[in-house]
Amino acid sequence: MESMPSRVQIHQLAARWLAEGSRPQDLRIHTDTSDFFALDAGDIMVLEGRPYLIRNSIREGRFGLEDEIKHWVKRSVDLETGAMRIIKLVFYERFTATIGGIEFECFRSPRKEARILDLVNDHPHFMHGRSAADEKGNIVRVLEYISGSSLAAHVADLEQSHEPYFYSTLPGILENYLRCIEAIRFLHDHGEKHGDIRRDHILIDSDSGQYRWIDFDYNYRHRENIYGYDLFGLGNVLIYLVGKGDVLLPDLRLRDPALVSRLTDGDMNIVFHNRLANLKKVYAYIPDSLNRILLHFSRGANWFYEETPQLLQDLHEARADIR
Amino acid sequence: MANRLELHFNRNVLLAVDDSENARRAVAYAGYMLGGVPGASVTLLHVISEPDEDYFGRTEEKQAWLEQYQRRVDAFLEQYRRMLLDAGFPAEAVKTRTPRRTCPSIAECILAELDRTRYGTLVVGRQGLTRKEEFLFGSVSSRIVGHARHCAVWVVA
Repeated sequence: MESMPSRVQIHQLAARWLAEGSRPQDLRIHTDTSDFFALDAGDIMVLEGRPYLIRNSIREGRFGLEDEIKHWVKRSVDLETGAMRIIKLVFYERFTATIGGIEFECFRSPRKEARILDLVNDHPHFMHGRSAADEKGNIVRVLEYISGSSLAAHVADLEQSHEPYFYSTLPGILENYLRCIEAIRFLHDHGEKHGDIRRDHILIDSDSGQYRWIDFDYNYRHRENIYGYDLFGLGNVLIYLVGKGDVLLPDLRLRDPALVSRLTDGDMNIVFHNRLANLKKVYAYIPDSLNRILLHFSRGANWFYEETPQLLQDLHEARADIR
Repeated sequence: MANRLELHFNRNVLLAVDDSENARRAVAYAGYMLGGVPGASVTLLHVISEPDEDYFGRTEEKQAWLEQYQRRVDAFLEQYRRMLLDAGFPAEAVKTRTPRRTCPSIAECILAELDRTRYGTLVVGRQGLTRKEEFLFGSVSSRIVGHARHCAVWVVA
């Protein structure tokens, strides 16, 4: 459909999702998405002639906030195909994020996400979608819905103690995670950052089994190292995977106070000082080659990764030692 | 041999600055060491690293941001110029440069400026970053020390 469909046509397409007895004249149809608060469940959005039925706004936890409603992100139905879509409306947000006491400037960019969607349009390890302009030129992103859980939830739900997890489950997870890091390298090679690398921004696609990055509309004002924050995120996810969760100092104090007395400041995460990076001190069977990688993200590190190829090289070598 | 020495050894100094206390110290130090030295000249350099297009909602915002930033830069460069004149540099021996660049790495942009000209010495202030800041953001002075070629580098801590 390239021209604007009529109200009656839209109503016919949406009928199976609408309340019984609804009428074409009851539909609220939006072609200007500038005020995303005005777009409610049951409304219709028409983008470049294509109608979408809004179901609801997405919820997500961010920076410690549980289930924050993202009013600019709408779960929607493509009325031409019936497919579920995630539609991200324009929201220019600039804020100062504080990570481990460090402030840096972050901003949301629809333009960036649209650009990356074009770049990764058939890459198996990213979410897919396209951008579409509304009548005011707002860059709206229409994303394919990925069914599946986040990597974080997947690992958290595994009912295994650490040692069997390490030997039987982690190798497969690391293989997939390596592909995720290579995907980030792909972005960096094209001059792009992900901008918000977190363990809940990798979804395990239940249809394909592929690990896929989502949510790359964040950006940050880098200083000397353009990819530093992305690398930090990759390291945090890796430590989480190897540890089968965050290994936190307060938990260790309860579990094993004697162990805590053997830890030093240098063993802790370089930014999050309550998280252990030197996991070999808890799980002695972690090979040195893998633990050395984790230590590059610790307070005791004398050298930091500057580029993803460096991390990839070390991780490729280390995975052979997990046997 | 003498010509190659002349190429690399001269009293032309590139002083890379921003509006930080570290930069001010670097200017003061350069003034102290070289003020009044015959043949010494300083170019005060501030590379304006243009933010990503993504940072701005509209093009007009970027233009306004750049204009405001340029005014700030001009102000602190003028302060630093006066510090050097007070230290004994003649007016014609102190210049300023504010190129606008897209800079994945500020250090690389500074070194690119060095490559274009015949500076014998590059002077920078050291930021005094914490380890975690250095990890997340990188260090301009560390990168300059690691990558500078064919010049002397002074890092003023």
